[in-house]
Formats: sequence, C-alpha cells, structure tokens
Amino acid sequence: MYAYNQYDQALVDQRVDQYRDQTRRYLAGEIPEEEFRALRLMNGLYIQRLAPMLRVAIPYGLMTSNQVRTLAAISRTYDKGYGHFTTRQNIQFNWPTLESVPDILADLAKVQMHAIQTSGNCIRNVTSDPYAGVSADEIEDTRPWCELIRQWSSLHPEFAYLPRKFKIAVSGSVSDRAASQVHDIGLHLHRNEAGEVGFEVLVGGGLGRTPVIGKVVRKFLEPQEILSYLEAIMRVYNLNGRRDNKYKARIKILVNTLGVDTFGAMVEAEWQHLKAGDLRLPLSEIDRVKGFFAAPDYLDLAHAQANLTDIFAVHPAFATWYRQNTRDHKQAGYRIVIVPLKNQLQAPGDASHQQMDGIAALADEFSFAELRSTHDQNLVLADVAERDLLALWHKLQDLDMGRANVGTLSDMINCPGLDFCSLANAETLILSRQINETFDDLDYQYDLGEIQLKISGCINACGHHHVGHIGILGVEKGGKQVYQFTLGGSATNDASLGKTLGRSIEQDQVVVVIGQILDVYVELRQTDETFLQLVRRVGFAPFKERVYGTHQKSAA
Amino acid sequence: MALIKNQQLSQSYVATPELTFSQWLADEELGDCVLANGEDDLPALLDKAPQMSMIAIAFEAFTDGRGFSMARMLRRAGYQGEIRAVGDVAMDRIDFMQRVGFNAFELRDDQDPTEALTKLGEVTVHFQPSADGNGPAYMS
Repeated sequence: MYAYNQYDQALVDQRVDQYRDQTRRYLAGEIPEEEFRALRLMNGLYIQRLAPMLRVAIPYGLMTSNQVRTLAAISRTYDKGYGHFTTRQNIQFNWPTLESVPDILADLAKVQMHAIQTSGNCIRNVTSDPYAGVSADEIEDTRPWCELIRQWSSLHPEFAYLPRKFKIAVSGSVSDRAASQVHDIGLHLHRNEAGEVGFEVLVGGGLGRTPVIGKVVRKFLEPQEILSYLEAIMRVYNLNGRRDNKYKARIKILVNTLGVDTFGAMVEAEWQHLKAGDLRLPLSEIDRVKGFFAAPDYLDLAHAQANLTDIFAVHPAFATWYRQNTRDHKQAGYRIVIVPLKNQLQAPGDASHQQMDGIAALADEFSFAELRSTHDQNLVLADVAERDLLALWHKLQDLDMGRANVGTLSDMINCPGLDFCSLANAETLILSRQINETFDDLDYQYDLGEIQLKISGCINACGHHHVGHIGILGVEKGGKQVYQFTLGGSATNDASLGKTLGRSIEQDQVVVVIGQILDVYVELRQTDETFLQLVRRVGFAPFKERVYGTHQKSAA
Repeated sequence: MALIKNQQLSQSYVATPELTFSQWLADEELGDCVLANGEDDLPALLDKAPQMSMIAIAFEAFTDGRGFSMARMLRRAGYQGEIRAVGDVAMDRIDFMQRVGFNAFELRDDQDPTEALTKLGEVTVHFQPSADGNGPAYMS
C-alpha cells in the first residue's frame, strides 16, 4: 500500500493548518457563511440536520489496520462510537462538532489520512475495484494509477471551483466492480490488439437527477498520458460546463448537449497542447508508485491446500459463509474475504468502534494488516490463507461481522436518509430495518440468488437506486414520504438504468411490494435465471400486475 | 480596495480597466488594458493577448472557476503582462490563483491585505505542474 513521503506528509499537514485557520476566522465572523461553506466542503465537512458530518477519504478504498484503529478512536473521541462506510469507499462521522474538525484532521494526518476533496465542486476521491491486485481476472492492478490520479487531483489549483462535483472510477479487470460506467469519468485498463495495456476512457456517466451511462470518448490511451488527458477533459469541462443551474452542471449534461463526438474533439484539441508535456508521467515515477503495491509475502500454499471439504462437513454454516462471503484469489491457497456491514441491527455501512478495532486486529492476524472498503458498503480482507478461514470465521462471528449474506437481498445499499441528511425526502434506515425483519430467513435469500437492492432517500441518488436490480427512491408527496420502485438496473459490465415500475408506494407497504416482486421472480424464473435476467426477459407486465393489480393502499 | 501585485502590497497602481474585452474587440485603439470574464471569447482573447499590458479577469461569484483556466491558458500562450483577479477575490483563493498565473489580486473590501499576503504559498507542496512552473513534487 502507498506510504507517504515527505511531500505527501507536508501537503496534508499544511492543509490541516490552513483549515484550522479558516475555521478560526469563520468562528470569529471573518469569513461569510456561503464562502466558508465552500471551504469546509473541500475538507469534507457538511452541516447536516442534527450536527455536522465529516467525510474522510479512503483513497480507492485501501486502509491499513492502523488507519482503521485511528478511525475507531476518532469515532470514540469526537463522535458517538461508530462510523458509516459510504458508496464511494469513504467513511463518514455523523456527530463531530465544527470546532473539533481541525483536531480530527490532525489525528488523521498522523496516519496519512485526510478529508481533502471529499465534497465540494472539485475532483473527489478516486474509486476503484475493491479486489484490485488480487482478483483472478485482472488485466492490470488499478491501485498505482489511482494513487497517481489522487496525487494529481489533490489541491489542483485550476479545478477547485468546477461547475459541479467530479468523480473518477478506475477498473482494471474483465468484470467491472467499480461502477465505472456511472461516473463522470470511467477508466478501463484493457489490452489492445497489439497486446499493449492502456486506458479506455468513458465520460459523462452518473446517477443523481439525470442518470446516464458513460460514453467512450477514447478507446485507447497510452498510460503515461493519463494525467494529461484527464487534465484536458477537466479544462474543457471547467470552461464549458453549465453554471447557471446546479441540476444541469454535471459533465454528463455537457456531453449530452454537445454530443460525445464534439466533446471528444474539444478534448483532443486541448490535449494537443498537453500531451508529451509536463504531465506525461515518467516511467520512473510509475515504477516508484507501482513498487508500493507489490504483492505481499504470500506463502507457497499450492501444495498445502486446506482440506476444506472435510471442514465443511463438520461446519455447514462455515460452508455457507465460504460460498457467500469469499471470492477466488489469484494466489493459490488464498481467498478474498468480504466482511459485510449488513447485520440485522445496524444501518447498512455502519461499523461500531469495537468492530473497527476488531476487524483491524483480524487484518493484522490474517490479511497482511490491510483492509479495503467497497462501493456496496462492505469491508474486504483481501489476502486470507484458506487454512486460516475457519479461525477467521469464528472470530468474525464474535464481532457480529460474519453474516453470510454477501450478494443477497439483505446486502443492500442504503443512504443515511432523513435520519441524518438535510437533503433527504424520506427515511431509508427504517426500510432496511423492515426488510431485515421481514426477510430474515437467509435460506430464502440464498434461494433468490444475487439481488442488488439499492435505496436512496432522495433524487441525489447516493444509494445508487438507478443501478439496483431493485431500486427504491424516497420522495415526498403531499407532505408524506412515499417510495418509488425501479427494476432492472445494473452497475456492472452490462450496466443499465432501472425503469420506474409505477406509482409510489407508502412506507408501510414497501416490504409487501418487495415480497410481491420476489414472488413473481420465484414463480416465473427458469433454471439458473437470476432476478436481473428475468426482468430483462419478461419485462414489467407481470410485476405491475402483481403489485398494482392487487395492491389497494398505494399512494396517489 | 487593496491590490497585491507580484507578492507585495501595491500602494499606487493602475486602476482596473472598465473597458471590456468585447468593447475592445470592436475598437482595438481603445487601450491595452481590458476586463474579461468567463463569458468572453477565449480563443480571441488568447489571440489578442500579445497586444495587452493588463488583462483583468472578473470573478462575479467566487464559485465561478472559469477564470482559473483562462489565466492558465493565457500563460501557456506566452502572455507575460499582468493578469489581475478582480471581483469576489478573497485570501482563501489567491494561492491557487497565483499558481495558475494571476500575478495581481484586487481584494474584496472585507479582506485584510496584510493577512492575505501570508496566504500566498500557504501550501508549499504541489502535485501537478501549473503556470508557476512549480511541481509536480516527484520532479523535485
């Protein structure tokens, strides 16, 4: 994992001092409210319904166990003892005071963390594949590229006041696990016909009010020019993106208005000034950064495989967990272990300080002292030897982090909603509680197979409802909270946007409707047909008929 | 209004022009100092910059970041005259402005110019090249 050198550390330390002075001047009445808002957002600080909320960057989802212990300590010292992992691989603290934020940032800086550009109209934390470097289907490790992009975008002087926020995702495998088609820029490392590795560049994807799948603006980009090309895109966007209407200000609107060909030609023209210039990455710098992501000291376990079959016979619950919560690893004798933050009692993505300390200790013991966060609000121990899995499983149970529900209905994505967020129209956490109570039978969930349920409390779509197999959007109608269902979304290689099923549903009927949708699936599915495949095959008619034909209590 | 120019408080200085770039385009004899903003024809401004001794770029709202790219591109095109930030200009943005090529800052009235001077170079580490010819850090 990347370790700061003197420059990285100086930048973060100076940024803490700068923000401390800005906070002091704001509290002394020397910075107008609206202006301080922009300054605090660029340091991740929102003012929410009940308290400020601080979003801390976890660059491309990678953390050391020591960093996780610091996050736990921050939640104890400045917050209420828990943190919330987000759909952009970051972590949020919901209860710090505005005055304490400079101290929190100073604590973070001591473990090479920060909150720089986790909000505001600037380039946000770059996100990536949570299995980077360990998945069997990888073309190239995305982490060095993410780090190079993180550095280039950090305190970029030209792009701090963009028309709107800007999100970049990087994928380097056959399977897209970074939702790269629904980002402002999606980068795909792939091989061209000559066998060279380069980037395919997508632009103008995104969710929010106007969901759009990204479009290819360049099929193949030499990796050394990645920063020059990104800078060209940013400059064209900064100069031409709309600033008169915040709902039309994202790059997707510019790309759609101009057409991707015209937009691409503008980028190409600007890029002629930049390529082969200062931003061309020297091979020595690429190699330096790649050096931080060398494989850990794996044991040679190819001929010492754990006899899992025998263990499965003794511990059937372990076998189920193995099937649901672990994935293939490129190194023989190792597994990727997903640690869901989706138990019945906590909000999706929440982890208590005890759980954070506990999982950090397990990372030390079993996974080279590193952890990852995922865009579906789980954690990952990426390098666990198969022979350690049983011991790890037992210890995860003790932390209430071993629920074998990855990829199931209850592994849902959920924004914090009206309980915390000042933008939300509707409560979302109550839905996750109701869903967990109603569908508590994991065997039923296993039978349903992979279902991605994604819930957003408002049109800003932090819960990514458009790309859920089942999406739920909270809206307000006539002073009441009601919920709109979408079906058929996906954020992976076959990305698609869900379509609205019909009129909105009242809160007490949401789980009833989910049950009806699942019943239709179970009745109509063919052998091995997933929920998403079925929706694509049969369309909406049987679902509409079941939900609205019999359903009397839906909202007008 | 206080002006910082070339990293110093400037006591007497050329007033910010009222002549807009679009007015100047209609009659190039009107002077060599113009006031521009993000709505102006940027290719034309880049083309005509060699005839200017001062280009003032107006930030009507601090959230309008177009002026940052304009300054950057003027410097890239070889323009060596004054680029002055005017309008909603506060101490918390002048370090970034200096990096992209502004060398003069007409501060908003509520700004303490002496304190503002301390904000230039507040963050010394730069991870990307810019108009100041400084960075990225790995080239150090």
